[in-house]
Amino acid sequence: MRPTMIAACLALALPLAATAQTAPPAEGKSNDKGAELTYTCQGCHGVTGYKNAYPNYHVPRIGGQSQQYLVNALTEYKKGTRKHPTMQAQATSFSDADIAAIAAYLSSLKPNHKK
Amino acid sequence: MTTLRLPAVLALTLALAACSGGEAPAEGHAAPERTGPTESSAGLPKGVIADGEKVATTAGSGGQACADCHGKDGNTPLDPSYPLLGGQYADYIEHALVAYRDGQREHALMSPQAKGLTDKQIADVAAYFASQPTKLTDLSHM
Repeated sequence: MRPTMIAACLALALPLAATAQTAPPAEGKSNDKGAELTYTCQGCHGVTGYKNAYPNYHVPRIGGQSQQYLVNALTEYKKGTRKHPTMQAQATSFSDADIAAIAAYLSSLKPNHKK
Repeated sequence: MTTLRLPAVLALTLALAACSGGEAPAEGHAAPERTGPTESSAGLPKGVIADGEKVATTAGSGGQACADCHGKDGNTPLDPSYPLLGGQYADYIEHALVAYRDGQREHALMSPQAKGLTDKQIADVAAYFASQPTKLTDLSHM
């Protein structure tokens, strides 16, 4: 293809790609973005029976938890009004739309959930 | 060929080591210094489920019983923002209640609810809700 044709195709394609973001999902619904974002959570929340080193308690089960509660928790960690070094670091990297997608996906999980 | 390959291999090894070094489970060792109550539930007595059921269904310092807002089994919250408690790890529930009681965590409703709880009541009510049927799961099945 000629260079100007390539440039024209890119100029058309990039704005379209940028607008193809997923909207925050409806209550109780999940979407692929939420599933994708929660892979990182498995490191602690996906190891059955895992405990923090200090203070020593189990990392909580979050699958199937209330969607609004999860939104609030991640938002508070992001703002620093709820304290936990790892969770604050995790939440700071998420946008509000990410948090909404994560909460929707996690709240949709069922016990003995298999994918 | 080897003069180029060795630095590349070293760089790759360092990059991999740096990635794995950031693993969240080790984070606890770097927790900031705490003065005063430590939020740890390590010093609590062993919870008694039957006693915990009484705690959960009796109005305390906050004016409500736990069950009033979270449901008798911890799984029927009055409001969508209240967390499900049934089947949650007992020591995590203890940790949350200690944090509310001692001020590391603040919530308009939960702080007064937790204020009057003794260590034994916290341990008991946590054991009770942990024993309830659960809608919760960890993420090991993703």
